[in-house]
Amino acid sequence: MRHRLYGSLLVIAMLVALVAPAFAHHALQAEYDTTKRGGFTGTLTKFALINPHVRWYFDVKSPDGSITKWEVTGAGAGPLRQSGMSRIFKVGDTYKVTYAPARDGSHLGRVVDFTFADGRVVTLFHEDPNNPNDN
Amino acid sequence: MTRRFIRSSAMTALAVALVWFLPAGVVAQGGQTQARAGNEPAAPTPRTSDGHPDLTGLWVRGGGGSNVNAPDPNAAITVLTKGRPCAPGQGECAPGVNFERDSGIQQRMTSNIPMYKPEFWEKVQYLDHNGNAEDPTFSCLPAGVPRMGAPAQIFQKGNQLAFLYQQQNTFRIVRFGPHDPINSVDQTPLGDSVAHWEGDTLVIDTVGFSDDTWLGWPGWFHSNNMHVIERMTRQGNTLTWQATVEDPDVLLKPWTMDARTLRLNTDSNAFLVPDLPCSERDLEHMVTKERG
Repeated sequence: MRHRLYGSLLVIAMLVALVAPAFAHHALQAEYDTTKRGGFTGTLTKFALINPHVRWYFDVKSPDGSITKWEVTGAGAGPLRQSGMSRIFKVGDTYKVTYAPARDGSHLGRVVDFTFADGRVVTLFHEDPNNPNDN
Repeated sequence: MTRRFIRSSAMTALAVALVWFLPAGVVAQGGQTQARAGNEPAAPTPRTSDGHPDLTGLWVRGGGGSNVNAPDPNAAITVLTKGRPCAPGQGECAPGVNFERDSGIQQRMTSNIPMYKPEFWEKVQYLDHNGNAEDPTFSCLPAGVPRMGAPAQIFQKGNQLAFLYQQQNTFRIVRFGPHDPINSVDQTPLGDSVAHWEGDTLVIDTVGFSDDTWLGWPGWFHSNNMHVIERMTRQGNTLTWQATVEDPDVLLKPWTMDARTLRLNTDSNAFLVPDLPCSERDLEHMVTKERG
């Protein structure tokens, strides 16, 4: 069963890899500083399965009790949905989030990984901060 | 159990890392996880009762399919994710390369470029340079004909064909017969499409375009006087699509796009999954003009 799952995920990846970049999309580096990392632990308030990029919205509680709104973005909605990612995030749960920060300083980031409350880590970032070609 | 869990998590992360690269609107077809792209060259071309090829089917881009039938999850995942960050249990990883920068270069490197009249090249360059703001697809607007390419699914019956496109849940109705006097002058992203057969090739003639779609990523605009001729030929389980753009207002000569080959998805359980909504929220945060 598990092999079947892996096989399915692989097939999705292979199929999409065959598709030429027929459609335009935003460049990661135009919006985010991929050389940097930030992090917070927050409560998921909304998971938006939208194009061109899925978005997660968080409430992050400060030590003084105040709440800061945060937003992180990920891949295209269709591929994430097909890979099953759309079903694993639950509003109200707490996640530790690592992200590449928005260059404009807003409370926005490109997600690097999510650490779930049960210890699972889902990595959603492919850029290597040590590779000059990536930054 | 822990090891199994870690492996499971790693595999999931790897798969997601792969799909990270994808632009919006990539064709997503339900059931493709079990897809059997028809790759038997000798498959007969089905025909309708009037003797013409029947283009009905779910069509997969890329022309591949041989690897789809029997993937080796472990080995192939290792290869496919070699350029990605290491996840627990993944093993050795090579440095990544920048997909979006590569894509931006790749999309400008084509030698098949529409030849604009001299007075329009500055406009093309401006649109290209400011594509993050100017490219209509970045704002969730339709790609339109012919930029949206070949359909993902075709239904052919009687004197009509229905073309389904996954991106933005778009459909076109192509009719045999004359252009509609109203639809052909309405100026829309899809225009008014009529077809006829030239041998076994379906020739689709489309007019009535708006001028707010592009022909391609590098700022290739067009006028609302555009005329598009698409040719579709089915041979067995392969479908070839090619479009020619005539736009005498802005182009020196007709421009023929690179042909695309599609293969039939022969899995009777496969289906086209509707696209998800699009909402542009990146542009206000862009600090450079780089795009991919």
